[in-house]
Parts: sequence; C-alpha cells; structure tokens
Amino acid sequence: MRDENNIVVMEGVTFTYPGAEQSVLNGVSLEIKRGDFVAVIGGNGSGKSTLCKTLNGLIPHYYVGDYEGNVQVNGLDTLKHNVAQLSRHVGYVYQDFENQLIRPTVLDDAGFAPLNYGFEDYMERGRRALRLVDLQCDPKEFIWQLSGGQKHQLALAGAISLDPDILIIDEPVAQLDPSHAGKIYDLLRNLNEFHGKTIIVIEHHTEFIAEYCKTVVLMDAGRVLWSKPVKEALRELRQLEASHIFPPQVTQAAAKVGESGNVQGTGRTGEGIGEYPVTLEEAVQYFGRFQGEHREEREGEGEAVDPLGSLEIVNSTMGLGDSISSENSINGSEPVIEVKHARFSYRTVTRERKIVLDDVSVTFNPGDLVALVGNNGAGKSSFLKLITGVTKPEAGHVRVKGVDTLRTPPEQLADMVTYIYQNPEEMFIEDSIRKDVEFFLKARSVQGYERKVDDILESFGLTELQHRDGRLLSGGQQRRASLAIGVAMNPSVILLDEPTANLDIATRKDITRLLQQLNRHVETVIVATHDMQLVAEWANRVIVMHQGRMIRNGTRESVFADADLLELAGLTAPQILELSRSLGMPQLCYTVDEFAQRWKAAGRREALAHGVCT
Amino acid sequence: MEYVRKLMDRVSVEGVKIELLNTAYGNGDTFLAKLDPRTPFLWYLYFGIAPWFIHDVILLFGLFFLMALTTMMSRVSPLIIGILCLGLLSQAGYLLIVSWLFGGGGETILPLLKLTLKLSVISLASITVFCSMDPEKLSDGLLSIGVPKQVSFGIAYGYRMLPSLLEEYHHIFLSFRLRGKAPERHGILYLRSIVYFLKIAVLSFYPLILSIAKRTRTTVEALETKGFSYAYQSPEVKRIKLSHMKFTRRDALFLAVSVIYVAALYVLAAQFNL
Repeated sequence: MRDENNIVVMEGVTFTYPGAEQSVLNGVSLEIKRGDFVAVIGGNGSGKSTLCKTLNGLIPHYYVGDYEGNVQVNGLDTLKHNVAQLSRHVGYVYQDFENQLIRPTVLDDAGFAPLNYGFEDYMERGRRALRLVDLQCDPKEFIWQLSGGQKHQLALAGAISLDPDILIIDEPVAQLDPSHAGKIYDLLRNLNEFHGKTIIVIEHHTEFIAEYCKTVVLMDAGRVLWSKPVKEALRELRQLEASHIFPPQVTQAAAKVGESGNVQGTGRTGEGIGEYPVTLEEAVQYFGRFQGEHREEREGEGEAVDPLGSLEIVNSTMGLGDSISSENSINGSEPVIEVKHARFSYRTVTRERKIVLDDVSVTFNPGDLVALVGNNGAGKSSFLKLITGVTKPEAGHVRVKGVDTLRTPPEQLADMVTYIYQNPEEMFIEDSIRKDVEFFLKARSVQGYERKVDDILESFGLTELQHRDGRLLSGGQQRRASLAIGVAMNPSVILLDEPTANLDIATRKDITRLLQQLNRHVETVIVATHDMQLVAEWANRVIVMHQGRMIRNGTRESVFADADLLELAGLTAPQILELSRSLGMPQLCYTVDEFAQRWKAAGRREALAHGVCT
Repeated sequence: MEYVRKLMDRVSVEGVKIELLNTAYGNGDTFLAKLDPRTPFLWYLYFGIAPWFIHDVILLFGLFFLMALTTMMSRVSPLIIGILCLGLLSQAGYLLIVSWLFGGGGETILPLLKLTLKLSVISLASITVFCSMDPEKLSDGLLSIGVPKQVSFGIAYGYRMLPSLLEEYHHIFLSFRLRGKAPERHGILYLRSIVYFLKIAVLSFYPLILSIAKRTRTTVEALETKGFSYAYQSPEVKRIKLSHMKFTRRDALFLAVSVIYVAALYVLAAQFNL
C-alpha cells in the first residue's frame, strides 16, 4: 500500500521534450514527505525544472513529449488529472517570475487564479494570499511600480491563492538581493511550519539550503542520485563537487582545514571528519572548540604570541591590503573618471520627480577595481548610466578622461567606456555571437578586426558557439558572451551591472575569474553587485550607496568591519567573513583559502609555541 | 541647434512610456472614468457614428464643442492631443494644397473643411471614451457586451506588458547606441543624424520580438496553471468577474445631459436654417 505520509511519489519517470533527442528525465523515482522542505540541487541541465513541472501536470499535459512512469501528487495520478486540477494542489513560482504576473494591479493578480476557478470570494482569497506573503503595498498598485522583491512576493501570492499543499519555487535567490532572498526564505519557512505546506525549492545556494531546508535531492543527468537529510547531504563534498555544487563556505573551510588531517593544526587528527559544520552557528562551535583549547594554553603568554596576528603577509600577497587611493591618484596622473556634485532624477508615472542620485562626487583612477554595493534602488545602475553618457546629470558634471559627458553623445564615449547590462540578452542585437562581438569594430571600420575577434572569442571560450544566437545560449554562456562584447570594444573603463546574478555557483566562479583578468585590458572596472563573495574576492575598492548617496568609499575592511553600515545598506557579508569575525580572528578573512591558510598557520605557530613550552 | 537638443532630451523613450501609461491608467479619478463602462459605449454609439450623417455646420460645431468639453473632462495626456492636432492640421493643410493645385476655390475648400470637422468630432469622441476608461474597464466592458474572452483579456494583458516592452526596447536601442557609431556631422537639416536614429529605431524591433517570444513561454505556462483555459468555457466565471459593474445615478446623469444638449442643438440648428 502507498505510504500516506508521502505527498509526492514518482516511479520510473522518463521524459523527452518534443523534438529533442535526449531525454531530460531518466527513470526518476522519488518520494517526498508531507510537510517537508526540500531543496532540489544539481548542475545546469540536470533536469531540476523538468522534474518540478511533472508535479503540476505541465508535463505530460502541456508538454506532450515521450513520457513514461507514474507520478502521484497528493494522491492524484497526474496522467488522469489536468493542469488546472493539479494546480489546486501545486503552486509554482518561476525563476523569471515577472512573466508570471498577468494582471496589471496587485490584488487583481493575486486573485486571478481563484477567479478562474469560479470562487465568488476571489478578492478575499487574493487578499488572504497577499497577507500570507506579507506584501505590504496598496492592493491597487500597478505591478510595474513594484520592486523586484515585491514582484517575487506577488508571484508567490498568486501561487498560494488556491491554497495548494505543495509549493514549488524555482531559484528564489537568483534574481533577488540577499536581504530580499532571506525574507522570501523566512516566508517559506513560515508557510512550511505554520501552514503545513510542503515546499520544494530549486536552489544553488547551499548556505540558504543549510539554514532553511530539511531534505536535499541531488540530480544528475536526469536521475535522482539521492535524497538525504540536509546535514548529511551537504557533507557529501565529493559528490556535490562532481555536480558543480559548492557546499556552504564554512563547510568548505572545515574540509580545507581538515584535508591536512589536522583540524586543529596541532597534529591531532580531527575526530569529527564526518561532522563538518554546515551553518555559521555550527562552524563557530566547531572551530571555537579548538580555539578554546588554544586560548587556554595561550593565556599568560602575552600579545607577542597571538597565533593569528602575524598574517598580514597573506593579505598583501593577494594584492588587496594596500591602502586605497580614493581621492588622489597614485602617481599624479589624471583620474579616469571624475564625478562632481552629480544629481539625477526621473519622472514617475504620477509625474513626480524621484531623486536617484543626490550630490555625488567621486573620482576613479587607473587600477581601481570598484565594487558598487547597496540595496535595490540605491542608485547604482543610474550612476553607471551617467558614466556611459546615455543619461546626463541634471547638475554637476561627469568627466571621463577629461571629456564632459554632458556634451558628448554615448556613441563617442563608447570609445572609452563599455557598459555591460545586467541582462545579457539586451546586448544581443545581432543573430550570432560573432556578429555581436564584431559590431563595434565593424562600425568603426577597424583594420583587421577579424583576427582580434578570433582572439577574443578564443579567450572567452566562445569559439565553438560563435555562430549561435546569443539568446539561445545558457545563462553562463550568455554572460561570457556579454563580457566578450565588452572587451572587444577595447575600453578604458568597463562598467558591469550585476555580472554574477542569475548564475549557478560554478559559472559564477568562472565569471569571477574572467573579471580578475579584465584589469589587464582596462584601466578601471566598476561593478554594481549584490554578490558579496565577489566583492570580497575581487574588489580593491568598495563604494556603498544608500538612497542616492555614497555613504562609504574605501577598502573592503572599512565596509565589512562596520556592522552598522552593513545593516543600513542591507548587505550581508560572506559567510566565511562572518565566521572569522565570530571567532574573533584579528583579521577578517575574505575567502575560504585565506581562512584555511591562516587557521593552519596559526595552528603551526601554536604547535611550535606549545613545543617550546613543554 | 540648442533647441533641437533640448527637444530630443524631452522626447525620450522614458517620457513616451510615462505618457502612454498615464493615458492608459492615470485618469482613474475623473467623472467620466467613474462611469460604468457600458455607458460610454452607448454614448459612443451616437457620437462616434452620427457625425458622418450630419451636414449642418452649426450642429457639427455644437457637437465639436461638447466633445472638446468631454475631452478636457477626461484629462487626456498632451501627447495624444498633440498627435491628434498634428494629424488634423496636416490633413487640413494638404486639402488646402490639393484644392489650390486643382484650381478649386472657397467652394471646394468649405466641404473639405466640413469633413475635417466631422473627423475631429469623431476623434475626440473616441479619445473621450477610450482614454477615460483604463484598459481594465475597457476589457470588462467589452466582455459584458459579448466580445470574446480572449480579446478582452488580450487588451488588459497587452497594457500590462506595455511598460516592460518599452523598457526592453529602450535597453536594446541603447545597446545600439553604446556600440554603434553616430555620423560625425549632422548633415543638412540634421538629415544624417535623423537617418541614423530612424535606422536603429527600426533595427531595435528585431531583438525585441525574439526576446518577447522567449518570455511568453513562462506566461503561457502560468496562464495554464492559473486556470485560464479552465475558466474559458465557464459562464459562471464571467458572471463573477463582471458582478462589480452596475449603472448608477452618475451614468443616468451623464446620458441625460448629453441627450438634452443634443436635442437643444437640433432646435438651435433648425432655427438658423429657417
């Protein structure tokens, strides 16, 4: 007999999209318990979204491909019930959730499904859904006036308006800034714990998985490899790595430190190799235990033997510790970009003016790798656009290499400045990658551009894809192509808007690597981003924006060490940095490698000191 | 030169987007906007068609006056009025030239001007009706008079997509500018620059079409999961959806005033023609 506790039972499900040659699902068998909070993980193309679409009947009813197997959802056979019937049991929030909002106003959209199902009280149901997702705005507000986070909440409201037992959310974190992502997960937890919903998320961010989920399902090449409790799952480091999933930073750190066989550095084998921490709290305990031992032993030895203090070397070898020449250039040369008292505002639909940049003054010099951070709507994109010349400051001025943007059309500034869109698709104006990369050079009739294009395509790994249409590539390939388009313009300044958004972590690492190579081609790189790991690993100068002003302009240290600032600007420091802070290490660690290196070095010193003492 | 630049700054894609949205949704609090959508339809049935069959100049002027009044009441965006004026002026101008070329005099121009007057009455009536109703109201109204559900849904959805489409178009347009090369000299009467901009304005549509096609996939799936096609046949859903519509005293007042005004006009016109 079927287990009543299972809300989803899949048996031997195989599916091939119509017209495709390879099957996307290859005999998937899976059981999901009622009330569970499941994360489905796996590399790109492993079949995660397809798996989820078999649950609400889109497969096999809407996508009529080759389908085999049996799926039971809440006791219903998906073959015998149509999408509309199954949708009352399964709510679905897409990754590109904006396209799932159908009606023009908030309450209308939330109540759309109940209306279609003929509920007299559809408005009330819509309102209830809005309350459940805690969307606090005028119910008559137009959806294009909402922020990205609010739109996601609304999509969620639409999905739960029919009060389904199962909710599927495809990559909630990808499109949202970290504080909004946290909010969405808090909501999901609330729905899971207090309203008994079974939640299924497709997720790459293992730090969120560790904190919120209960079960992890790993997929690879259309198969479910396993389904395990979250802690156990995240400790399967080797298998995760094979699927390009990166475990939480703290887990990676514990593994790195443990690799040499001595968690504590003193030669004692770590007793809990299988017990790697997966959340920050666990990690603080895990590492703190050994640190505690150090501390006790160290007491009375004075400051001189502080095991973690003498590691500035690590910092300077990474080329990041040098003080930032934020206002005066290093060798007296001209600043690359000079912004003085710039002001910018735009008209809203209600014909009011909204000020986005208010009296901003800043200069950028050769060699600056700038991260521009701050929550959505802080004015980051508007600032970048001022530098490109597509928008002009209302007051003050912006000069790029001495050229005033006010009097210069963007076409002319393009010889010096490249702007890379957040959404790479908006950069594909031709029908193949190669033509897109050529566009700028061809327009300027550069001699022998073909060779140059070949080289660039090669260095971005796009040679194979050069004749494909950019829009049909995967997210990571699109991002690489957009970078290649930018580099082909041979600019002095590259501006990037959210270059790592929407990517799985493996691709993100790839892009970070490409960004690190950019400064060989360009003088100044400015990146507007929410990705604090990117900030920590890449930038040598960080600017924090808040409500149209720059509230901090300095080093990584000056930003990440300032908890109030982080709070005000809605930023979340990388987990590894929080760990080093919580452990009271004298210097904050920005990467896992840095942490492991320091921890081990401290251990060795400790061992040495220990040896001398005894 | 400076004026042209300032004008170009003002006629930005962003500005057009705001005007369009305002035209569609921004006038929800006017007297006309609060009418039941069926009332303006009824009203339009007369004012949109009758002028074709009226040849009396006094009557036409009277109607024109009423239409101008209702257009003002519906607080139409200046953009729309601008486009309308441009259309009417160019038409009048062309009529003038044609009649002059073919040796016509005042007696040919007069009937032609009468036609222009008719056209403006009808145009203003259309503007009054369609600009005072937001797309939601319009689509509910159409649904209630028996237009198929797909059409009325399409209108509402089209407007919901409008801002994002314009935004995306703007981005693509800027992509062309950020990588392209503008002519170095503007040319006679800015001709070169105008040709350059027109060219990228047209080229920008191609990438837009492709990306819309991609977006639509999610939307269609979402419609499916939200039971849109499930509700398609159900008259019950239509009833619930339209249950908020009802005629009020405001509607009666609006229709009554219009009828009295038109009746008075006829009396007046009849007296002049005696």
